[in-house]
Amino acid sequence: MHIMEGFLPVKHAIGWSVASAPFVAYGLRSVNKRIKEKPEQRMLLGVATAFTFVLSALKMPSVTGSCSHPTGTGLGAILFGPAAMAPIGAVVLLFQALLLAHGGLTTLGANIFSMAIVGPFASYGIYKLGRSVKLPFGVCVFLAAAIGDLLTYVTTSVQLALAFPDPAGGIFASFMKFAAVFAVTQVPLAISEGLLTVVVFNALARFNPQELRDMNVITKEVQA
Amino acid sequence: MLIEQCAYTNRWRQVSPAAKGLFTSCGIVAAFVARSPLTTCCLAVIILAVAVVGARVSLFRFLKVALPAVLFLAVSAATLAVSVRWGGFPLRLQFHLVNKAELSHIALTCSRSLCGISALMFFSLTTPMTDIICLLRKLKFPEVMLDIMTLGYRALFVFLEVIHDTRTAQMARLGYATPRLAMRSLGILTANLTLQVWQRSNALHQAALARNNDGSLMFLEDEYHRPVLTLLTASCSGCALIALAMVPL
Repeated sequence: MHIMEGFLPVKHAIGWSVASAPFVAYGLRSVNKRIKEKPEQRMLLGVATAFTFVLSALKMPSVTGSCSHPTGTGLGAILFGPAAMAPIGAVVLLFQALLLAHGGLTTLGANIFSMAIVGPFASYGIYKLGRSVKLPFGVCVFLAAAIGDLLTYVTTSVQLALAFPDPAGGIFASFMKFAAVFAVTQVPLAISEGLLTVVVFNALARFNPQELRDMNVITKEVQA
Repeated sequence: MLIEQCAYTNRWRQVSPAAKGLFTSCGIVAAFVARSPLTTCCLAVIILAVAVVGARVSLFRFLKVALPAVLFLAVSAATLAVSVRWGGFPLRLQFHLVNKAELSHIALTCSRSLCGISALMFFSLTTPMTDIICLLRKLKFPEVMLDIMTLGYRALFVFLEVIHDTRTAQMARLGYATPRLAMRSLGILTANLTLQVWQRSNALHQAALARNNDGSLMFLEDEYHRPVLTLLTASCSGCALIALAMVPL
């Protein structure tokens, strides 16, 4: 769930934009470096942006019986790396604001911070940590996608709590209030997205292992 | 996508995107400048009227596109209006409605957001993405970002069609009959889409190489109807919006 246009006070909107800017700049620098080494990456990142955007058009069955759409945070971070996901995520969020009226321009910085920075970096960190302690590949992918998705909404709750502290309970009570509202939909959604990402990687590892090896996502023993 | 259809078919399609962008920016600034919910609601209605009367965007389409955002806004307003604290015996969470001063602050926040949504809708319903990318190029946005936007925008319609066709084929084979089957079908669909990211990007790269591409992607720009005059009109209208926002109601 993106923060809507005009919802954050000016100071918060500017603050989150300033906080996001270095990550997007670093992401652009890393993307530029990749394109210089491999010019075909320009097309890959462009098409990957469309892929991330259209994931939000897929209806996913949730464990509560309702349905929602995947965010693609974990999938994108594992496939393309967290640094590339910052500019890709920024463009996807801009598309969502302008083509679907989800999110906004003044809240773009805050939305980039939660969905294109915290989510992908957390997913990638969890995935790498899981691999380093020799957890099974599927478990790593599930944890990366599910926890990355949840942390995205925890960050959004923090952003809203900082902007609108509860008159009685302060920032913490406000955080609990927003997190509780998000939890109703996002906890089942995170579990569903984790399962979906595992199904995706299983299908890719079975039918297209070469592409995953090229992206350093799997090694030969994982495929076996 | 409904927004895209409106953006290409409205009366102001040939008006400079810089003018429409300037008016939108002024609308958003006015939303933040206004100090009463009534003023911001009036501003939202004025911007909507400009889109409907000026650009001939259908009122039904405008409201249909804005409806999900307005529903989210209503949920957010309800969340803000309730205060939570621990209390009572035995200790439990207590929910209270916030006081009158806080309620007026929430009303201002929500009306500001409503005005911002109206301004954003005006821009997206009257300006196609290709024009927005051209505008960002003039504003010296990083080339890589613009390339990602250009390629992403062109590829997303291809992917949307692939999703539609694949889902139709899967549904015809009862692929979504149960939640378990639905998850499996969706996983296969997403894996197939993921693979197409490489296939299509390789094809695009080969096509670009065949045209001696060695850097950024360049496209011809549209010519707009009286760009200076429309920019002047937009700046005057935008200033009028900001001036109106300063009027205490």
